[in-house]
Amino acid sequence: MAKTKHYRHNNGAMYLMLTPYVLLLFFFGLLPAILGLLEIPKPSMANANGGWDAFKIVVHDFRFAPAFKHVLGFMAIFVPLMIFFVIGMALMLDIKHSPWKKWLRMAYIVPASISGAVAVLVWYVILQPTLSPIKGALKFFHLTESTQIWQQKNLVYILAIMAFFAVAGNWILIQYGSLQSISQEILEAARVDGCSVFQMAVRIKIPLISKYIIYMSVLVFAGGLQIFVEPQLLNGGIYSGIADAWSFDQLSYNLAFMQGDFGGASALSILLLIPSLLGALLVIFKTDMFEGAQGHIKKKNIEVQGF
Amino acid sequence: MVIKRSAPLVLTLRHENLFVNTIRNSIFAIVFPGLVRSARGKADARHETGDTLKRKYSVMAVATAAVIGGAMVAPITAQAATPSILIWVDAPRLPGAQLYAAIMKGKVDVKVELHGQADLLAKVQLFNRVKKGWPDVVFGPPNDVSVLKNPLINNALNLDKLLTKQEVANFGHGNDWCKSSTGTYCVKNDLAQTVLWYDTTLFKEFGYTVPKTMEEWAALGQDIAANHPGYSLGAVGDQGFYASYLWPSQCPLNQEKSVTRVVINTKSPKCTRVAKLIQPLVDSGVLSKTSYFDASYIKDVGQAGKIVANLGPSWWGEFVLRPAGTFNIPAGHIATAPMPLWAGEKVAYSGEWGGGIYTVSPHSKFPRQALDFAIFMVGDKRNLVTVKNPDGSHGAPTFPAYTPGNALWKAKVSSDKYYASDPFPAMLTQSTKIFPGEKPVRYDSNGAWGAAFAPEITKSGDLQKAIDAYGAYVTNLAMQLGYEVTKS
Repeated sequence: MAKTKHYRHNNGAMYLMLTPYVLLLFFFGLLPAILGLLEIPKPSMANANGGWDAFKIVVHDFRFAPAFKHVLGFMAIFVPLMIFFVIGMALMLDIKHSPWKKWLRMAYIVPASISGAVAVLVWYVILQPTLSPIKGALKFFHLTESTQIWQQKNLVYILAIMAFFAVAGNWILIQYGSLQSISQEILEAARVDGCSVFQMAVRIKIPLISKYIIYMSVLVFAGGLQIFVEPQLLNGGIYSGIADAWSFDQLSYNLAFMQGDFGGASALSILLLIPSLLGALLVIFKTDMFEGAQGHIKKKNIEVQGF
Repeated sequence: MVIKRSAPLVLTLRHENLFVNTIRNSIFAIVFPGLVRSARGKADARHETGDTLKRKYSVMAVATAAVIGGAMVAPITAQAATPSILIWVDAPRLPGAQLYAAIMKGKVDVKVELHGQADLLAKVQLFNRVKKGWPDVVFGPPNDVSVLKNPLINNALNLDKLLTKQEVANFGHGNDWCKSSTGTYCVKNDLAQTVLWYDTTLFKEFGYTVPKTMEEWAALGQDIAANHPGYSLGAVGDQGFYASYLWPSQCPLNQEKSVTRVVINTKSPKCTRVAKLIQPLVDSGVLSKTSYFDASYIKDVGQAGKIVANLGPSWWGEFVLRPAGTFNIPAGHIATAPMPLWAGEKVAYSGEWGGGIYTVSPHSKFPRQALDFAIFMVGDKRNLVTVKNPDGSHGAPTFPAYTPGNALWKAKVSSDKYYASDPFPAMLTQSTKIFPGEKPVRYDSNGAWGAAFAPEITKSGDLQKAIDAYGAYVTNLAMQLGYEVTKS
């Protein structure tokens, strides 16, 4: 989007390369958002007189507050877990060169291929005491009946685990890549100055890749906020209804397709756009993510702000 | 081997209404519609959490993509002389529908699509927006009729003018569910009246007699808990509890009195007596807190042959007790009896679990041809008795609501050596005793069992609390859709 902002050269090739992105952005980003905005004030079953009350109505929907709680709980687990685990793994991967590394990198990618729909099935089996391959471990925690596990209060954890395994692998590799961009001279200098491996990671490497970390945080945050597939599939499964309108996206879906309230669904969608948009603006204006290749050490790691 | 192992998995993808999909059909048939539905209708199923910028717009993109998609898959309406209809059915109805398409070749162009039962409600809103794409005739869950005939959705044709006198007579009271003061808006595929299912071998072994009252039923449970621990009288963690206990007890939960008023009162004595009588059985584990279709219940109780008896719908035998994929009860065990009577009542009512319906779209160019399909499904021997299902069984598993079809089905079931005794008479007795107070409503009354009741019962194990949770949930839903909710 604003990626192009600071490029001032009038360059035909550049525009050509940009075109597909702009087209996609327009048709799948801007246009739906505009259509959504136009949809909001239209009259519907819930908003009989039409108008911008749709926002108020949707916020006061009896499922809005629970969805808020669920998504907040989910994010409180998922986002920090992602950031600490991903950075930790990437740093460890970066410590030493070894012939094993490429296999390790591949191993990280594997769970990421089990995403969304499939992950629901996989985790259902893993967490079903009768079928589970980790029966022993579940038994150790006195989890012998599925009713102990498949409860609404456990969903934040279950869904956080699902989402974590689905996306962590990719991000480990991306952050590993960002670590590769650190100049060898800096690392060499640190080593000469007697930096330990741990100090090197915390004092040198993390500050140098902090903008990537913030970038990841924002994307993970936006993604988490819009969790949909996993709870929706779970909801249609054996414990049908267990995750009914569990997340904001599901509520929006229910409003639109179960109640025919497209205005309310649009209102909720636009509301969801705001935090993600703020996150994106944060990346653009408060970090030097797009300032050119040379990164400089930031004062502090502000990843929590995105959250 | 893989297939066997997967059977419980398949169950995980069953749709809201447990009646929807069958374990007996292929994994493809079950998994595919489930997944495809989410991949298509929800359009962005492929996005993983948090790895693309586009996600920010996903909800909006979904809507547009779905609209565009909906427009693109709209069927081409044949202007030729041959009428053409588009049919949507779920997996258990698929073999019959495909057979119908083959039979009608040359006379009617029949296109059959496999869809989960909930698909229509999700898609019809989009069809209404783009003004095309409606299937002509659809099999769906019974409550849909109320949603579809709502003028805002307007996708259930009033069939009064289409149904012949003979057809109306053939349905008798079997189609009452579809009738309202303004007309007949659907055709019942089957009645799913509850009866008492029991294992004759276990009854003999334990020296039990068939309970005639609910008190005797509870006493049976107490005796099992005391003398035969591990054995079961069923499960309460799903919609089956409503159909088997609350509805027959006349607990007012979805009693629509008019288009604008519904009675929901979980504190009614007709509700509290259920919780009071049944709670000890839940506490002792004779009634499991989970769903019947929970993998562990299937394996540890159902397939282990530990269900002494349970209150279940008329399709229970053909669809759940018998198939190898579910409880796999051997031949010669199963029999049925009429529902036990609640104290102080004169009629031993049934509830219904499922009992699907066919609706015809008002947008159909060939409504009579569409209705013909529904009549074929409920009245023709080729669907009810002979059609071959993917698991090797034949015919429909459900109790037809249409008298001629019912006679055909009776002939098949009554002579079936699988049952210890003819299961049909009890079903017939109960078929006229479905308590008529519970009605189709404009909100998703079935889905709420999973959304509100089941979570509470698995958490606290307290029946009354769980019933109250259901009541509160549907009260909210009802008010949102413009109902006034009253206590009586």
